[in-house]
Amino acid sequence: MTQIDPRLQEALDGERDPATLPAGLREAFARLSEAAQLLRDPPAVSVAERVMAEIRLDATVPAVSPLGAARRLVTWLSRPRAVTLRLRPAWTLALAAALAAIVLLPIEQSIAPKAHEGIAQFVGHFPGARSVEVVGSFNDWRRGALPLSDEDHDGIWHGAVVLPAGQHEYMFVVDGERWVADPLAGRYVDDGFGAGRQNALLIVRP
Amino acid sequence: MRLLLAVALATAPLAAQSPHTRLEGRVPAAALPGIDSLIEQAVAESLPTEPLVQKALEGGAKGIPVKRLVNGVRHGLVQLRDARAIVSRATPARVTLDGDVASVAAALARGLDPQLVERLLAGAPPPGESPGPVLHAAADLVTHGFPADSAADLLRTAQQDGLRGSRLLDVAVAASHELQREGGRTPMEALTRVRAMLPNVPVATPPHPRTVTRRAGPGS
Repeated sequence: MTQIDPRLQEALDGERDPATLPAGLREAFARLSEAAQLLRDPPAVSVAERVMAEIRLDATVPAVSPLGAARRLVTWLSRPRAVTLRLRPAWTLALAAALAAIVLLPIEQSIAPKAHEGIAQFVGHFPGARSVEVVGSFNDWRRGALPLSDEDHDGIWHGAVVLPAGQHEYMFVVDGERWVADPLAGRYVDDGFGAGRQNALLIVRP
Repeated sequence: MRLLLAVALATAPLAAQSPHTRLEGRVPAAALPGIDSLIEQAVAESLPTEPLVQKALEGGAKGIPVKRLVNGVRHGLVQLRDARAIVSRATPARVTLDGDVASVAAALARGLDPQLVERLLAGAPPPGESPGPVLHAAADLVTHGFPADSAADLLRTAQQDGLRGSRLLDVAVAASHELQREGGRTPMEALTRVRAMLPNVPVATPPHPRTVTRRAGPGS
């Protein structure tokens, strides 16, 4: 709290002639005196009267009129209002951290399979790979739809996805160019293009 | 386990787009007329077209040269015809479903003998139940070196004992485990062991990753 100059305090208390104050303090004395006067004088219109005046104004609009209701809504919406927000630093930080987690972390969510769906889990060992993705009949063989991840850079790429129950053919695409049949698939099927290449076959159980 | 970034991608309904629309831009323009023609033949013969569309999309994604790509789709059409013929012979009293034809075509693509497929279908699941699981279970057993006829007998017994759907895949898994047991068993010994377990073969444990993503669908 700012300490008030004792001479100014004395002048405000009437114990000192304001004329004896230095110029800077005289100016402060004048402002404080004006403020004190304002506080002493009763307002021309009391708060209660102003509130009642607003209520009377609203009462002039028929309550059942949709137009009036709309106008009141517009007035209410457009009127500026002061909002006081009291925050405790600890709670504020916790809230900020939670929001940051939601916004910044990858969109990760558990999605429960429905009755005719199952979870397919993909794991591939591709040390040194820059990217690995799964492309298959479940995503129209479209690239980029199901990337795997290797967060700890141990060369083991993981991914899981909910798929319709049944059979799906798929391949891993390593570094965007190398097509590899999942070595752990256990089931394979000739891809039919005549070069003896095979797709991995996945059977998703409901 | 590492969590996978998960984006639930919108899945455009397949039926909403014609095969030609789905293939445009995804396969070489030079391959499109040939593929369109094959798909039209499939439509004319009331065969499912989705396996052909998928084969074309696969070839386009893999950068297969035009001629081989079209041949791949043609090979798929031939397999569908064969599959439909097998389904019709095996279950003459039933309406032939696209899904059944596709399942049989997939079994043929896995190398199952057509006669074995027909035999499995004839003793097959009740109407409305896909033959896919029993065919895949048979293909799994044959791939692991079990005699085809014995494998089919085991699956038939399993069906008679009430096993359906993916539980039939458990039969194949159980047989493979028996085969790999320490000390070693012959395929016939393994099948006998599994037959004795029926219908209580162990249930395969589904994966439980902490986070999964929904299918990245067509049009995504």
